[in-house]
Amino acid sequence: MDVGPLPQLIVSGILTGLLFALISVGLTLIFGVMDVVNFAHGEFLMLAMYATFGLGLIGLNPILALPVVVVAMFVLGALVYRFFVKRLLAGPPEAVVFGTFGLLVFLQGAAQFFFTSDYRSVLNPPFSGTLHLGGIAIGEAQLAAGLGALVLIAAIFGFVEYTEPGRALRALSEDRVAAQLMGIDVQRMNAFAFGLGIACTGAAGALLMLTYQAYPRIGTEFALTAFVVVALGGFGSVHGVLLGALLVGLVEVLGGYYIAPALKMLPVYALYLAVVFLRPQGLLGRR
Amino acid sequence: MTVQRHVAVMACVLAATALFTAFCHDQFLLSLAFTGLIFAVLGQSWNWISGYAGQVSFGHALFFGTGAYASALFATHHGSPWLALACGAAVAVVLALLVGFPCFALRGHYFSIATIAVAAIAEIVVVNTDALGKANGFELPILPPGLASLQFAGKAPYVLVALVLFAAAQIATVALEHSRTGYYLRAIRANQEAAASVGVDARAVKVTAFAGAAAFAALAGSLYAQQTLFVDAESTLGLSVSIAIALVGVVGGIGTVWGPPLGAFVYTFLARYVAALYGGHGRGFDLLLYGALILAIVSVQPEGIAGIARRFRART
Repeated sequence: MDVGPLPQLIVSGILTGLLFALISVGLTLIFGVMDVVNFAHGEFLMLAMYATFGLGLIGLNPILALPVVVVAMFVLGALVYRFFVKRLLAGPPEAVVFGTFGLLVFLQGAAQFFFTSDYRSVLNPPFSGTLHLGGIAIGEAQLAAGLGALVLIAAIFGFVEYTEPGRALRALSEDRVAAQLMGIDVQRMNAFAFGLGIACTGAAGALLMLTYQAYPRIGTEFALTAFVVVALGGFGSVHGVLLGALLVGLVEVLGGYYIAPALKMLPVYALYLAVVFLRPQGLLGRR
Repeated sequence: MTVQRHVAVMACVLAATALFTAFCHDQFLLSLAFTGLIFAVLGQSWNWISGYAGQVSFGHALFFGTGAYASALFATHHGSPWLALACGAAVAVVLALLVGFPCFALRGHYFSIATIAVAAIAEIVVVNTDALGKANGFELPILPPGLASLQFAGKAPYVLVALVLFAAAQIATVALEHSRTGYYLRAIRANQEAAASVGVDARAVKVTAFAGAAAFAALAGSLYAQQTLFVDAESTLGLSVSIAIALVGVVGGIGTVWGPPLGAFVYTFLARYVAALYGGHGRGFDLLLYGALILAIVSVQPEGIAGIARRFRART
């Protein structure tokens, strides 16, 4: 039987999904620890992509730029928590939604104003060839981005699972009050989690620049996908994210091919609605 | 505020806008006033559900777009614009019921993201449907000016028509505030479980308010289409429109009668006028300014501009 382009699409969907997972794991970490849905998540990703582009101008390719961008985004995230999100948490419940949404608008406007709406791609991409594996053609850049994302996701899982700060993060998302009573400094851990979540967009942004171009509105596209991923996996569930992201990656790539490229986001949104209506706790989430 | 005070403020705003329209001959300023009034109605209708009931929607453009497309379809098929207003509102109400019923089972961010998804689906469907003009949209045919065609030679009559809709939205909001539904909405925002425990059918109340809000947003969309004579998916259904509507409400102050109009005034002044002076559209200066304003308001004065006014009144 001729399966046509299916294997090719599946590989492409999985590689795309891994990048979604890296972005979404940051979103779900922030949500799990402090109950904040960061509507500006995609805009941080956009900033990271511009930062990678900027480092490319001084000769660093995206892979070399990655650690720099990750550290910078971590610091930025921690500062945004310390000087902005912390205030929102003290306000009325809608303040967090409106506040991070305002951040989205502000960052997008700033990018458009300072960087213009032009598309920017790195001038010195380190990978440009194509690998042929048993009839499947994979762009080296896409493969590097996907594998890079996989390594980093594994590192984050390991960190959350096996280290002391990781345990503190998990404790906070399980039961904030109890964690506090056990001597965990909530404000410090919140800032740390926010920084870590934003650092994930930093890593993803650097990897994305291997294959994508940066422009001011790119964040919204990825953020919407990340919301779907996080809802699928269950808000706050780190493991659910990987499953959700691979599903969404496959749905997007297969939908784009078998339905129509213009309609590729349609099944993704439909999937979100189906999940929240039928299984609001997500595929792996707890009630 | 008491009803008498609302009436007094209303009379002043109406008189001021009417006077401005009568004596202003600058077409740019008049079109800004029109935009401001349309956004006031949009922000106000959004406020019903996202302010009073606390269910933050980022998909309100769905209903605005419904009205705009109703006008575009009727105009290109030689229908009366008045019929378009009625049909657009009716379709918006049906959509609100269809969308609202499942979505209002969701809470918090689940609801907010669902509204984004629903509006995005609508936009994708429109952009891929021939009968709805695909991504090109519609240019409405230019008809002899007059009330029958709802097209006018200058901008001033448009402002007056929008003023009528604005007045209706304000009156409806005051009526809502003092109605049983209005109290229920605020009770739901404060504590849905407590409201439900005393017999408030939260979902039915929210869907009712949602349907009313949808009708007003659709009427605003129809008037907008009559004025710009161009309708496409991005400018009427896009996420950026939904964002603008929500921001108008947040800046002005959610859950208040005069917050959204204040927010709309600030929005049109900042986003359109100042941005036109410095750099114009497309450079994002409007978003930058507006985003900064939101950040300042949310972190310093979560009740919006109306909250500042209230605080000031409380002091005097």
